Amino acid sequence: MASQPMNSSMPPNDTYGGDEIQAIILDAGYSSVRAGFAGEDTPKSFFSSSYGVTGNRTIFSDEDIHNPLLPELEIRNPMSKEGIVEDWDAATQLWEHAITSRLIRTKQGDPRKNGLNDVGGKDGVDVDMDAPDEEEKPLEEHPLLITETAWNTSKNREKAIEIAMENWGVPAFWLARNSVMASFAAGKATALVIDLGASTASVICIHDGLILKKSVQKSPLAGNWVSSQIRSLFGSVDPKVEVTPHFMISSKTPVDAGAPAQATYQKFENKITDSFRASEEERVLTEFKESVVQVYPGPGRLHYPHPVNGILNLENVKMSPGRVFEFPDGSNQMWGVDRMRIVEGLFDEKYALPTSEPPITKAQTIPEMVRASVSAVDVDLRPALLANIVVTGGTTLLQGFTDRLNWEISSLFPSARIKITAAGLTSERRFGSWVGGSILGSLGTFHQMWISRKEYEEFGASVVEKRCK
Amino acid sequence: MSQSGASIAPDCVTTFNDLKLNKKYKFIIFKLTDDYKEIVVEEASNEGDWEVFREKLLQAESKNMKTGKVTKGPRYAVYDFNYDLAAGEGSRSKITFIAWSPDDAGIQPKMVYASSKDALKRALNGLAVEFQGNDTDDIEYQSVLTKVSKGLASS
Repeated sequence: MASQPMNSSMPPNDTYGGDEIQAIILDAGYSSVRAGFAGEDTPKSFFSSSYGVTGNRTIFSDEDIHNPLLPELEIRNPMSKEGIVEDWDAATQLWEHAITSRLIRTKQGDPRKNGLNDVGGKDGVDVDMDAPDEEEKPLEEHPLLITETAWNTSKNREKAIEIAMENWGVPAFWLARNSVMASFAAGKATALVIDLGASTASVICIHDGLILKKSVQKSPLAGNWVSSQIRSLFGSVDPKVEVTPHFMISSKTPVDAGAPAQATYQKFENKITDSFRASEEERVLTEFKESVVQVYPGPGRLHYPHPVNGILNLENVKMSPGRVFEFPDGSNQMWGVDRMRIVEGLFDEKYALPTSEPPITKAQTIPEMVRASVSAVDVDLRPALLANIVVTGGTTLLQGFTDRLNWEISSLFPSARIKITAAGLTSERRFGSWVGGSILGSLGTFHQMWISRKEYEEFGASVVEKRCK
Repeated sequence: MSQSGASIAPDCVTTFNDLKLNKKYKFIIFKLTDDYKEIVVEEASNEGDWEVFREKLLQAESKNMKTGKVTKGPRYAVYDFNYDLAAGEGSRSKITFIAWSPDDAGIQPKMVYASSKDALKRALNGLAVEFQGNDTDDIEYQSVLTKVSKGLASS
């Protein structure tokens, strides 16, 4: 999903000076980093997970990573395709930037050195420049709660607490499972959590607040996969659709639907890298996903006959009006049934559009993951899980998604009572696990849960394995 | 300790034992205190009408700690549930734990109740059945009867 910087404002003043601690909640995914104060409704800092490298400069900024004028700007991402950290150096800097630039006041430099007091211009002879200067760390006043995926590795968990304690100087730390946070935020200690983010889709059974390990299912059929389906469709229609990102257009004139674009293009002296171009194209695809793409809501699947009138669903859909999308270059057209074919593969692998990647398997589809996840848990638990399905993650906001999911799960388990809970507020769905962490971290009673600096110093990083189950 | 850090007041366990061993009560409703620090007994009653009990859950309220806004509220409850088996095979009694969290409750109380539940459950020994209820249908007598008896009750 597109990254828009949220209002950067200072933490509320009423907690300053009091004995209330302000914990910071950090929820980092493949496409965005969410950070904010515990107790608030939405994360104040919402950052792209991508960062830029130009020459030997590294750029963390939602503005500059979209600047085509920076020479040979490469766009990178510290997360692996499975949504866990791969490049810790970059992740540390990116997260620190997400926290310090929007949440906490930048520490004022040492007044002897920051240049503001150089009145006489005589090099400040009376100041002892060699005074011991303990370097201040950015989070010394804020406990930190980080969310993690169910498949995070022990090594990564230990690395997380090390960075929080050593680099940022946090007084206390906690790791919370993002699926558990989403489930708690929906008021459920027992739930089947279906989470579709940018890089990964997962289905996880949670019982009394604990993840049932055997039930964890994940696959790449999430937001980025939908993007590759859109590209596949664009390449197969006649004439082919070339995605030209906004930065390449200098002006455009309106054209009729289906007509070639009439636009003048920007010329760049510097080289535009493939990764920069891909990242800008992705923004156009995101817009397309949000405004055009739709999941066939059921009943039945898109390529099968309607259970009542027997007509192919595909034909039924063709009779309904399509949706118009205008590309940055001004070209525009109506998208009919294709807008649903793009995402049919989420549920029905046979109809996924061909891409350069290996074809997807049946086991990777959402219904099969649900089947496998539920089958892995005790029979007695299954009814409670199916009656408490929590849907979260930005990709589940695709129109029609929850209706179709309901139909699919009902046909997998015809005798069970199915109930799907999906937050109505877009923000709660996109930030579900952040919101959960925010409430947990703000509880007066939670202070006894935190792993304190003292505990860390005594037991080392492995304390996180013992404490955060 | 619960995942939220909330603790259990000692009278939760003693009241529960009065229900379990001495059959002193029909049901107990538990709540979190307004500061969300402790789970306490809100009411213990020997009222036998399910509808009275259900109405109490439906009317429950919670306050948001920060804004003070009052919304529908979650509760925990224990009910000494009796039913007759179909085909005249006698009657059964099941001590049932209910985690009631209406979908229209505030997100903060929902979260705290969900993350504190396991602690209360572990403190109460001898629960036969448990379920989560999120909308009014979930705690209708018939639907509870089916759940508790696994469909074996005479209706």
